[in-house]
Amino acid sequence: MLTPLQIDPTAVASGVNTVWVLTVSFLIFFMQPGFALLEAGQVRAKNVANVLMKNMMDWGVGVITYFLVGAGIATVAAGVTSSGSYSIGAAFAYINDPSGWVGWLFGAVFAMTAATIVSGAVAERIKFKAYVFCIVVFTAVIYPVTQGITWSGGLLAGSGYIGAALGVGYLDFAGATVVHMLGGVAGLVGAYVLGPRRGRFSSSGESQAIPGHSITFAVLGTLILCFGWYGFNVGTQATVLAAANGGLTFNGAALGRVALNTTLGMGAGGVFAGLTSAYTEGKPDPLFTANGMLAGLVAVTGAVPHVTWWGGLLLGIIAGIQTPIVFRWVVNALKIDDVCGVFAVHGSAGAIGTFLIPVFAVAGFSATQLAMQAVGVIVIAVWAIVATYVTFTVADAIFGLRVSDDDEFSGLDQSEHDFTAYPEFVEAGGAGAPSGGQAVATDGGEAE
Amino acid sequence: MSGNPDSGIKLVMAVVRPDKLSDVKRALAEAGAPSLTVTNVSGRGSQPAKTGQWRGEEYTVDLHQKVKIECVVAEIPADEVVEAIAEAAHTGEPGDGKIFVIPVESATQVRTGKEGTEAV
Repeated sequence: MLTPLQIDPTAVASGVNTVWVLTVSFLIFFMQPGFALLEAGQVRAKNVANVLMKNMMDWGVGVITYFLVGAGIATVAAGVTSSGSYSIGAAFAYINDPSGWVGWLFGAVFAMTAATIVSGAVAERIKFKAYVFCIVVFTAVIYPVTQGITWSGGLLAGSGYIGAALGVGYLDFAGATVVHMLGGVAGLVGAYVLGPRRGRFSSSGESQAIPGHSITFAVLGTLILCFGWYGFNVGTQATVLAAANGGLTFNGAALGRVALNTTLGMGAGGVFAGLTSAYTEGKPDPLFTANGMLAGLVAVTGAVPHVTWWGGLLLGIIAGIQTPIVFRWVVNALKIDDVCGVFAVHGSAGAIGTFLIPVFAVAGFSATQLAMQAVGVIVIAVWAIVATYVTFTVADAIFGLRVSDDDEFSGLDQSEHDFTAYPEFVEAGGAGAPSGGQAVATDGGEAE
Repeated sequence: MSGNPDSGIKLVMAVVRPDKLSDVKRALAEAGAPSLTVTNVSGRGSQPAKTGQWRGEEYTVDLHQKVKIECVVAEIPADEVVEAIAEAAHTGEPGDGKIFVIPVESATQVRTGKEGTEAV
């Protein structure tokens, strides 16, 4: 006779769920190479190494800051803006608590995604030092406060002051606004404070195209981002197995809904951005199509567990259609040079998608919820605008925000890193120099 | 004898459409002058400018992509080579390119050290 193996279902559920969270954290990390390629492709060859450097610093400087400061600030921000009690000591207790580190990493990959979005908007003219300063502030304060007033139970959550007043909590499942709109609005404000690239607008204010150097990089980066996004959205459904009444329940339907809505939003976003560009430009535009895939993903990111399958599809369609239109509006009406279009992709798409959650909700329409969504989007957007404006203004005062016109002309690879992304005719080990004497012979003298 | 302007060596330099390169190579081989150097170049001539789009904004491209073919000849008459290239690269539309013949003062083959017509 077989004796059933005696196991603790809670331990099994916890083990499986933790491994799932780790796995999706690694997937979300893989959005970093996606962003790096996407941004590198949309800038000119002379600024590629600088853009890649900024992306690496988003991660490196960002994780250190978010570990030592940011994650604790999130808890403090939640405590200050809700009726619950909090202590500074408890907020930072995770630093010495190994059992909290998987959860910290899961939070960190979202924080770094938000930080990386800003880089694409301010590309090709921001001083490297000033940018690193902005990353520190972004991952220490700007993102953590947003996380605190939403996911950590602050201001907009059911337990926060506004949430309690309205009687409902703000819905943003995986961060369409907490992560993406925050990054998109911060990028737009950063690009505004910074001013456009030289030559982006003519002396009479007409916009002039500055084509990026590789659509291959941009589209490949987009598809890598799409892959990582499955971790971002489906992984936020962090409870795969639930232990209850001595047994285990598998949350297959919940996982299925977020996976399907993520997929439909992505597909519809790409198709409808392509169609819109074909209508406005005469031919379907590969870059807007790629941007539309991401905008579709952003739009459903807050909504995936809450909306019907056709709601996910419609959100993707809306996000795709608005991508070329909002991008042109930023350029033509606001005269802001958002190089990678991060506001159209992450900002407006995130705001629209998250606001509309109650309209397509599985649970049915709720006017109170819709009001809460509007308030939430506005609060996060205002915070992003004010905080980013102050940060960039302070960075300007300390470091100077822009490189000189000469440096912008020769490229930031040269001025900021003494580097060339695509070197040609480089001598190996000084071969080619005259024997004896100086290293390099030119008619123009020594290298500076 | 190097340094002789009447060396009998000529450089045929042609700028043609990139998609005609294969035809030109075949024609040169048939004309008995298969050796050549090819470079990607951009240039402006009688071909009208074309437009490109970046994020819904048009920009003008007036420098068109061409290939430059350089072919140094001594024994084969330069005008036969010119004729072969012209025939192979012809479409009749603006932008077919141009062919120039330039006298060559001297030639040296790197491997053998041979000079003059023998080097070609």
